[in-house]
Amino acid sequence: MSATLEYQAKDYKSELKPIWCPGCGDYSVVQGIYRALAAIGRPPHEIAFISGIGCSSRIPGYTTAYGFNTVHGRALPIAQGIKMANPDLLVLAAGGDGDGFSIGGGHLAHLVRRNMDITYIVMDNQIYGLTKGQLSPTSQKGRQTCTSRFGSLEEPVNPLLYMLAYGAHFVAQACPTDLAGMAAIIEEAIRFPGFAFVNIQSPCVTYGEEAQQMKGLKAIQESLKALGHDPADRLAAMDLAQQYGTKMHLGVFYRNPEPPATYEQLVRERQAEQMKNAAPRERILDLFIKK
Amino acid sequence: MPVTERPKPSLVPEYCKGCGRCVSVCVKGCIAFDDEINPATGVVPVVIDLEKCNGCGLCIEACPEPYGLRALDQGEDYELQDPAKLYGARLSEAPEPEDIPAQRIPLPACQPLVIKGNYAAALGALLAGCRHVYGYPITPSTEGAELMSKLLPRLDGVFLQAVSEVATVNHMYGTGGAGLPCLTFTSSPGFSLMLEGISYMAGAEVPAVFINIMRGGPGLGNIAPEQSDIKLACRGLGHGNTHAICLTPSTPQEMLDLTILAFELSFKYRHPVILLADGYLGQMTGKVQLPDHMTKPGIPKWAVYGDLAHRKNLINSIYLDEHDLERHNEYLCGKYEAMQAEARAETFLCEDAELIVVACNTPARAAKGAVQELRHQGLKAGLFRPLTVWPFPVEQLKAHLGPGRRLLVVEASAGQLEDELRLALSHAGLPVPPVAHVRRMGGMLPQQDQIVAAATAILA
Ligand SMILES: Cc1ncc(C[n+]2csc(CCOP(=O)(O)OP(=O)(O)O)c2C)c(N)n1
Ligand code: SF4
Ligand SMILES: [Mg+2]
Repeated sequence: MSATLEYQAKDYKSELKPIWCPGCGDYSVVQGIYRALAAIGRPPHEIAFISGIGCSSRIPGYTTAYGFNTVHGRALPIAQGIKMANPDLLVLAAGGDGDGFSIGGGHLAHLVRRNMDITYIVMDNQIYGLTKGQLSPTSQKGRQTCTSRFGSLEEPVNPLLYMLAYGAHFVAQACPTDLAGMAAIIEEAIRFPGFAFVNIQSPCVTYGEEAQQMKGLKAIQESLKALGHDPADRLAAMDLAQQYGTKMHLGVFYRNPEPPATYEQLVRERQAEQMKNAAPRERILDLFIKK
Repeated sequence: MPVTERPKPSLVPEYCKGCGRCVSVCVKGCIAFDDEINPATGVVPVVIDLEKCNGCGLCIEACPEPYGLRALDQGEDYELQDPAKLYGARLSEAPEPEDIPAQRIPLPACQPLVIKGNYAAALGALLAGCRHVYGYPITPSTEGAELMSKLLPRLDGVFLQAVSEVATVNHMYGTGGAGLPCLTFTSSPGFSLMLEGISYMAGAEVPAVFINIMRGGPGLGNIAPEQSDIKLACRGLGHGNTHAICLTPSTPQEMLDLTILAFELSFKYRHPVILLADGYLGQMTGKVQLPDHMTKPGIPKWAVYGDLAHRKNLINSIYLDEHDLERHNEYLCGKYEAMQAEARAETFLCEDAELIVVACNTPARAAKGAVQELRHQGLKAGLFRPLTVWPFPVEQLKAHLGPGRRLLVVEASAGQLEDELRLALSHAGLPVPPVAHVRRMGGMLPQQDQIVAAATAILA
């Protein structure tokens, strides 16, 4: 049935009116997601969109996908539960830098090594937006916020480098300064068979710093393609990712040219193998009771 | 002469029936089935090769025969050599730790401040000598952390924004273990995440103060005031046999006073203390009179501060031996029993009241207004306001119960306060008088007119 319908970006847009501040970068991100989903063309009911808590985590509500605005920091474990329940779904996860790299940071490495086919989009604004402007794990050292009055003493995390080091097979970065490019990257990430991570520099106009607004970001942006970067080269990707925070590289840092099997594929194979000579369901007790 | 090595097994072939239980437990593979029949018994005993044996003793334990496998030569009477006896006492100059007492520092008299409840609690913590505050932002509690981020660096203190509430509570486990007063501000979903750590701290007897500015639940709920965590704080502080004193302020002044008290109690009992306030109280501005002194904390003698004086201390919640753990739990129960003495309440016009309104936190404010209004109408109502919900001030309440007296529980939750009240009456062996209630949820607070209407229906 789905093959006969041509979905357009508007078909992924919900009736809800976003309550983000006027000018928030997240408006562009949701536009990018509409476009990417239209290019892929899966019907909205085959898409599950899971987020944590934060301004950015409101995003599933603005789409027509099945949305799940979950628990602060727990988007990824919940997304994995959903993927296991129904592996045929297109599973998108999204959230903020605090949600993903602070309270939820411990989950990243394990989804990467489990490699479920989930696309994770982080709207990285270097601040806690929803709770009104506290320090985030990607805030620059020295950054003054209401919970770091005299400047932060901590180095920021480098999400790109983390993901590459954890062994992610697809790592990219995008920004609303290039909306068409962002939509294309999200599309590529979704099409990638396996876990894919897209860091989006999405300015917070209310609590963000001057340098992290559209104008400032434009000034430091650089396309990886234009640089001649080969996305199959993981070490070169790590080299470039080091510049997170000073340069804003847009595009695909790393795409494994030979993606390994996903977790759900392996689960299916394992099940098929184990079920080969399995007794019928009524004889379930045979598994426990030795005759 | 005590034996210095763990004994190896020796087989009494006459008793061995070759069941092979020892074969399966030996990790070193020393024991094997044999095929030679023992002429005395007619069964096939196992064979043992002791070359790789490390004397773990598992085979001796596994042997179902009382005399099958035994400890080689030494019978059952062996003891492991204690390194202290073998090599003498460890080289240490560590003295017996002593309490370094806290100091009282007088404060000059000053005009009352007009501040938010969250700030009042923060100020209370500073005056109680707390210089270590950890927290993860969560509305409606974040002002406390924000103020601490501004003040602590100037007071020789540390504010650290943790990566989550799980991290927060464990930062507190570390600082509390060093014997220093520490604090967090959080709100319901964050408090949920801290419970695992609170259970460890209760088990390991580590003091700390948790200020929970409760908000609407369950789940994400909302950020409006609710008394949503009375149950959690009184009945569910993580796994195991846990309780903690839970203080319930009603005014910004009490946010300050009870925070100071919370620190005193947490060190008195070497135990976490919870301050339960609601979202409204955190945001409410009010007049706050400062105390006439502040505290410079010392270091208690049990602390693991990390210096020579405290070298002999150990902080820990693991007791692998069942008897030890039971004894530890009995000890904790004794502590919980002693904490009953900390039950506190305030009464208002209760002496002759036919209807006693029971309420704490912000709902107690509307309840007080309602009691005054009812008295104007000539109806005999009074207010009983617990300042601790655990332990519940049942002794104080008892004085006002009797024939013809009724209770009206007013709360911003689905009956969590009433449950504590009923449980306390039941434990005290008191008859439960007729109890009515006014309950609001979801961030809605009981209103004065609702309380008056409910009370009038009962009294008139
Ligand atoms: C357990 C828990 N702790 C704290 C919060 C409060 N909280 C909600 S969103 C958020 C952080 C928001 O920052 P980020 O994830 O970067 O998203 P943004 O709003 O910037 O898009 C916090 C601390 C919560 N909801 N749950
Ligand atoms: S606070 Fe910042 S992140 Fe949140 S909606 Fe406003 S601009 Fe966007
Ligand atoms: Mg953010």
